[in-house]
Amino acid sequence: MSRAGAVAAERAAGGSRVPAWVRPAAVTAGVLVLALGPLAIVDNLYIQTVAILTFLLVVSSSGWNIISGFAGYVSLGQSAFIGVGAYTVGILSKHLEVSPFLLAPLGGVAAAVLAAILGLVAMRARGHAFVIITIAFLFLMQTLALNLRSITGGSAGITLPLPTWSRDLGELPFYYAMLALAVLSVALAAWVRRSKLGAGLLAIREDEGKAAAIGIRTPAYKLIGFVVSAVLIGIAGGIDGYFLTFIDPRGMFDILISVQIVLAALLGGRGTVWGPVLGAFLLQPLSEVVNNYFGTQLGARLLVFGGLLALVVVIMPSGIIPTVRNAVRRWRERGSTVPFIEQPVRLATVPAAPAANGQAEAPAEPGARAAPDEPAEPVGTAPPGESAARAPASAVRVSEADREPEPERVPILEIRGLSKRFGGLTALDGCTFSVREGTITGLIGPNGSGKTTVFNLVSGTIPGAGGEVRFSSRRIDQLRSWERPALGIGRTFQITRLFKQLTVLENVVAPLRHFSLRHLASGGTSGAEAARARELLDLVGLGSFGDRTAGTLSFGQQKLVELAQVLMLEPRLILLDEPAGGVNPSLIQHLADLIRQLNREGISFLVVEHNMPLVLELCDPVVVLAAGRTIAQGPPEAIQRDPEVLGAYLGGDGSATERLPRGPAELQEDAPAGPRGPGNPKGDAPVGRER
Amino acid sequence: MKLAQTVLLGLLTGGVYALLASGLTLVFGVMRIINVAQGALLILAALFTFEIWRRTGLDPLLAIVVTTPLMFGVGWLLYRGLLARVRAAPEAMTVLLTFALAIAIEGFMGLIWRNVFRSVTPSYFASSFHVGGLFLPKGLAAGCLTAVVVLGLLYLVLTRTWTGRAIRASAENLQGAQLVGVRVVDVAALTFAIGVATTGAGGSILSILQPVFPASHYVWISKLLGIIVLGGMGSLPGAVIGALLLGVAENVTSAYVSPRWSLVVFYVVIMVVLLVRPQGIAGSRLREDVAA
Amino acid sequence: MKKFRQLPAALVTLLLLVAGCSSNSSSSGGSGNTSKPLVIGASLPLSGDFAQPGEASKKGYTIWQEMVNKNGGLLKRQVQLKIVDDASDQNTVVSDYNRLISQDKVDLLLGTFSSLLNIPASAVAEKAGKTYVCPACGSPDMFNRKFKNIFFAQPATAVHQADLFAQWVKSLPADQRPKTAAYPTQDDPFAQPVVNGIKDQLEAAGIKTVYGKVYPADTSNFDTIASDIKNAKPDLIAQGAVFEDGVGLVRSLVKAGYSPKAMFQTSAPSNGDQYSKSVGAANTEGVFYAVSWSPAAKYPLNQEFLQAYQTKFGGVPEEDAADSFAAAQVLQAAVQAVGSVDDQAKLSDWLHNNKVDTILGPLSWDERGAPQQAFILAQWQSGAAQVVLPQNVATSQKIVFPKPNWGGQG
Repeated sequence: MSRAGAVAAERAAGGSRVPAWVRPAAVTAGVLVLALGPLAIVDNLYIQTVAILTFLLVVSSSGWNIISGFAGYVSLGQSAFIGVGAYTVGILSKHLEVSPFLLAPLGGVAAAVLAAILGLVAMRARGHAFVIITIAFLFLMQTLALNLRSITGGSAGITLPLPTWSRDLGELPFYYAMLALAVLSVALAAWVRRSKLGAGLLAIREDEGKAAAIGIRTPAYKLIGFVVSAVLIGIAGGIDGYFLTFIDPRGMFDILISVQIVLAALLGGRGTVWGPVLGAFLLQPLSEVVNNYFGTQLGARLLVFGGLLALVVVIMPSGIIPTVRNAVRRWRERGSTVPFIEQPVRLATVPAAPAANGQAEAPAEPGARAAPDEPAEPVGTAPPGESAARAPASAVRVSEADREPEPERVPILEIRGLSKRFGGLTALDGCTFSVREGTITGLIGPNGSGKTTVFNLVSGTIPGAGGEVRFSSRRIDQLRSWERPALGIGRTFQITRLFKQLTVLENVVAPLRHFSLRHLASGGTSGAEAARARELLDLVGLGSFGDRTAGTLSFGQQKLVELAQVLMLEPRLILLDEPAGGVNPSLIQHLADLIRQLNREGISFLVVEHNMPLVLELCDPVVVLAAGRTIAQGPPEAIQRDPEVLGAYLGGDGSATERLPRGPAELQEDAPAGPRGPGNPKGDAPVGRER
Repeated sequence: MKLAQTVLLGLLTGGVYALLASGLTLVFGVMRIINVAQGALLILAALFTFEIWRRTGLDPLLAIVVTTPLMFGVGWLLYRGLLARVRAAPEAMTVLLTFALAIAIEGFMGLIWRNVFRSVTPSYFASSFHVGGLFLPKGLAAGCLTAVVVLGLLYLVLTRTWTGRAIRASAENLQGAQLVGVRVVDVAALTFAIGVATTGAGGSILSILQPVFPASHYVWISKLLGIIVLGGMGSLPGAVIGALLLGVAENVTSAYVSPRWSLVVFYVVIMVVLLVRPQGIAGSRLREDVAA
Repeated sequence: MKKFRQLPAALVTLLLLVAGCSSNSSSSGGSGNTSKPLVIGASLPLSGDFAQPGEASKKGYTIWQEMVNKNGGLLKRQVQLKIVDDASDQNTVVSDYNRLISQDKVDLLLGTFSSLLNIPASAVAEKAGKTYVCPACGSPDMFNRKFKNIFFAQPATAVHQADLFAQWVKSLPADQRPKTAAYPTQDDPFAQPVVNGIKDQLEAAGIKTVYGKVYPADTSNFDTIASDIKNAKPDLIAQGAVFEDGVGLVRSLVKAGYSPKAMFQTSAPSNGDQYSKSVGAANTEGVFYAVSWSPAAKYPLNQEFLQAYQTKFGGVPEEDAADSFAAAQVLQAAVQAVGSVDDQAKLSDWLHNNKVDTILGPLSWDERGAPQQAFILAQWQSGAAQVVLPQNVATSQKIVFPKPNWGGQG
C-alpha cells in the first residue's frame, strides 16, 4: 500500500497516531512467525493440518472477497474452483508422471477458464439471481464430476499417489505451499483494492448503473474480477487434492465449504483486505473445536455454521474489522466536535480561454459576483494567479478542434424521433431536437414531459425503443452505456448517484476514459489519476474534501463531486440533470459560474432545470418538451413568452397543470428509487426575479 | 406405453411440486425475498408429520390440519425474529440469511431425528390404481389431489379475502398499499408465514411419497428454485406451469436418458432462464437499470 | 491502529491455543509401560450421511473391546477405544486420523466406514506407517495404490462380492435360467462394482442386459425407474443398493405391479427387521443378497459375539457391527502374534502372510490388502433371512426360485 494511500486511509478513519511503517512491519512479522513456526512443531501433524486448512480458507476467502466483497456479487459457488483445481491435478496426474505440485498452477488455469465462462454468462444477473446461479453452478459441477465417470472417476473419485518426500518432513511442503498462496492472495487483494480495477469494482458494488454511466465497462470489470478471484483458489484446490490424496465429487464440490468461505469473509470484514484472513483464522479453529467437543452430537456443526452466519448477517453484516474500526473511531472522537472545513464559495479565478474567439459573450470575471466579505482565496489552494494558471489548463482538456465553433457546424447532439414507453405509459413520443456545439442548451418542460427519459436514453442508462440519437453525426443509441463516455458524453443525475461508502477522491478516480488492461492495473487512489482527480476537485472547490466519505457531503457538494467525476472523462458534451435542484441558493451561482467557465473551454451543455431564472439566464437556446414531444425551441426570451409553452405549464390541454415551476421538481419515474433528496424549495421566492 | 406412464407420473408429481413451490413464489412476489430455507422447512414439516404419524397413527394427509398451522407459526417467528431485521439489506445478504437458516434447520433436524431416512407408510402407500396398462400409485394420486385442493384454497384466500388482496396490493406497490391503509409490516410477516405454511401441507404430502433425510433439502430447494424461475418468480400460475413442465421433464429425462441427469435439468433451467429471460414464463419484467 | 499491529501474532497464538486445548482433552497413549492401557483410535461417521452404519460399527468395536478386556486385555493391557466423529466428511476424517496419530499418539488404528472415507483416511495411515484395518472399504480404488499397510476385513472386495450368486444363476438349467437382466444401481463406489461384477459374469454367460442405468445417491423416488424397468421386462433384477434405495425400488416395483423371476440386492436386505418392516414382510420372499456375515454361522466366537451384543444392545447385530468386530479381531491377531505394537510394519507383514480366524470366517489378504475369500449368499425365505450358499454354512437347504409375486402389504 503506498504511503500516501495508507496515510489517507488513516485520516479518513479519523486520524491515528501510529506511524506509517507499523502496518507493513506487523504484516512482515506475522508472515515470518507463520513461516518459521512450524519448524518447532514439525512432528505435530495435527497442527500442520489445521494450519493448512486455515490457509486454504484464507486463499478462498480472499479470492471470494474480490468479486463478492469489492464488487458486491455474492457468490455461493466459490468452492467449485477448489474442486476444479483439485480435479485438474487429479486427472492430469493420472496421465503425467509429474509431481502434483507442478500441476497445481494448471488447476489455477482451469479455474480461471471456468470463471471466465461462468462470468460471461452469469454477470448479466444481479443480486439474488446471481447468488442462485452460483449455487446451481456448484451443484451442476458436482453432478458433472459424478456423471462423467471416464474423466473424473465418478463417485469413486481419483486417488493420488502418496507424497514422495520422507516422513520426517510431515506435511510441511503442503504447509509452505499453502502459506505462500495465502500470502499471495492477500497481496493480490490489496493490490486490486488500490488499483483502478478495484476502484471500478467498488463503484459497481455501490451503484452499477452509475458506474456504467461514467465509462466503467461493467461486464469486462466483472469478468476480470471474477477470473482474478478464482485463479489462486484453483491452485490451492490442486494442492488440497494432493494433500487429501483423494478427490471426489462430494468432498470437492461441497456447498458447506462455500458457506465457510462466505462466513470467513463476512465475519472478518467483507470488502476489507484483512477481513478474510481474520475470519479464516477464527473460523477454522472454531470448526475444529466444534468437531472435538460436539462431534458426536449430530448436526452440531451445521447449527454452529448456520447460526453464526445468520448472526453475522443480522447483527454485524460489515464484519469485525469495520465494526471495530468504527467503534474505535467513535471512541476517539467522543466529545470532540466535527471539524469545520472551509469550502470556497467561488472558484479559483480563471482567465478567459486564450484561443477563444467567435464566442457570443465576453466572459465576466467569475469572482465579481461573490459577496465582498468572503475570503479572497479558497482555503488550501495557491494564490489566484498560480491556481488560475494551473487549474483549468490541466484539468479541463478539450481538443483544439472543438474550441472553434463554426457557424455551419454539425450539432453535437441530435435527437430524432425518440420514443419510449414504460408499459402503458408513453414517456417520449417522437421527440426531436438538437444541441449545437459550444452552447449551453436548456431543456425544460412540465413534469412527466420526458426530460429525464431523454437523458437516460442519451447516456444509455435505459434501453431505447424508437428513434435515433446521434453524437457528432454518429449514431450512439445502439451502444452500451459505458461506451458513450468514451466518445465524450458525460451526465449527472437529478438525485446524485455517488458511491456513498467511498471517499470523494475514490469517487472521482473511478471514471474510466479508456479501457486497457494496463490502465486497469494502474494505481487508483495514487499516481497520475489521483493527481488529476485532485485538480478537478480543486476546480469545483472541494479540494480539501478528498478524504471525506462521499455520503457525508451535503447535497450540493455531492453535485459538485458528480461534476468532477464527469470532468474526469474529458467530455465534449455534459448532460446536467437539474444541477440546481435542492442546492443552497448561494451555491447555485457557483455552479452557474462553473458551467459558464467550462463552456468557455469548449464543453457543450444540455441542462434540464426547473429553476426558471437560472435557465433563462444561463441557457441559450432553450428546448421545451411536453408530453414526450418538443413543442418549442429558441432563445430564452422567446420561450418565456411562447403561448404554447405557457399553455403546457399552466394547463389547458390537460397535459400538465403546473404553474411555471420555481423550485426542485418532483421525483420522476426514472430516477433511482428512494426518498427525495435533501434539497427543498427554499421558500417560493424565486431566485433572481429581482434582477 | 412407456412415454404415457412417464408423462403421467410426471404430471402427478408436478401437481405436488406446484404446491411446494407456491409458498416460495408467493414470498418472492410480495417481499422479493428468495427463501432458500423453504426446502429445509419442507423436510421439517415432513418430519413433523412423521412424528405425528408415529405417535398417533394419524393419516399424513389428515395431519395437514395440524402441520399447516404449525408451520405458519414457525414462519411467523422466523420472519419476526430474523428476516424483519434485514429488510433494508442488499438482496444477496437476505439470500445468505435464508441459506444460513436452511443449514441451521438441517442441523436441528439432524439432532432431533438423526440422519436416517424417515418415511410415513400408511396402508395405501405401496399400492396403485391400475388403469389400462398404466399404474397410478395411490399415495401419489391422493397427494396430488390434496395439493390441488390446497392450492385452490390458497388461490381463494389470495383473491377473495381482504387479507389476500392486501398481500397482492403490497406485491404490486408497497407504498401505495400503505397509503390505502394496509399495514405493510404485518402483511409482510403474514405473507411469509403463509408461504411457510404451504410447506406444512406440502411436507405432509411429501412424507408419503418419499423417504426424507435432513440433508434432502438441497435437492428440494434446487427443484423448487428451478420451478419458480421457470414459471416466473412471483407468479402463482407460473409456479403451477413450471411445476408441471419440470415434473414431466424430470421423469422423461430419468426414463429416456438416465436418472443421473434428471436433477441437472433443474440446474440448467435455473441458469439458462435467469440469463435469457429472467422473468420466466409468467413473471413480470422488473424495471431495473440495464448496465450490462 | 494498535489493535492490528498485534493481529498476526494474536492469530498464531489463537491457533496454538486451540491445538493446546485439543491435546489437553485427549487421552495420551502409553508407550512401553504395560500397566497403561492400550489405546486404539478410530474415526467413524457418527453423523452425516453414513450415521447409521457408523453407529453400527461403533457397536461392533465396543463389543470387541469389552470381550477382550474381560479376557485379560491385549498384551496384558486393558484396551481403550478412542472413537471420534468424522461427520461422513473427507476433510474431517483426514484431520481426525492425523490427530489420533500425532496428537493423541494412539497405539493402534482401526478404520472408518465407507470406502469414500477410508480411501483418504488410509492414505494418512500409510503416510504415517501405521497398520490400517478397515471394516468397510471394498471399493477397488482402495487397492490400486500399492499401499502396504491396509487390510479389508471382509471376505472379498466389491467386485467379487456376488460371485456365488452369479455362479448359481449360471448353474441353472437352460430352460429355467433368466434370459434378460436389469442392473439398476446407485452411484456408489461400493455398490456399483458389485453389480458390475454380476453383470460381467452373466453377460459372458449369454444373459442379455436390458436395463443398466445408474441413479444418483440422493434419489428417493423410484416410481419412474420402476416403470422404466417394468417396460424392459427383465427376468432378473440385480440392484446395487445401499439401504433406502433398495427399499424404495421394491416399493415402487410393487406399485408398478412388476415382479421379476429373481431379485438380488446389495446391502439393503441384510438389515434384518428394518428391511422386512420397510418393504413389507410378504414382499421379502425370495430376495437374494450377499453378506459378509451370518448370525447362524459356526465360526469361532460368533455365538459369543451375538450374545454379548444381545445383552448390551438388544436384538440381532447389523452386518456392519459384525464387520467391525472382525476388523478388530484381525488387528488383535496380528498384535498377539507379533507381541508388540511398536513396529507396525511387522504387524502388516504378518497379516500379509497369515490367515486370521474371525466371526466372518477365515480371512487372508494379497499384497494389496484385498481379501481372498468369498461372500455368503443369503435369501429371504418365509420372513426370515437364510444362508443358502456355501453349503458348509447354509441354514436352509432350498433356494426359492422363481421369486413369487409381490405379497400383501407391510
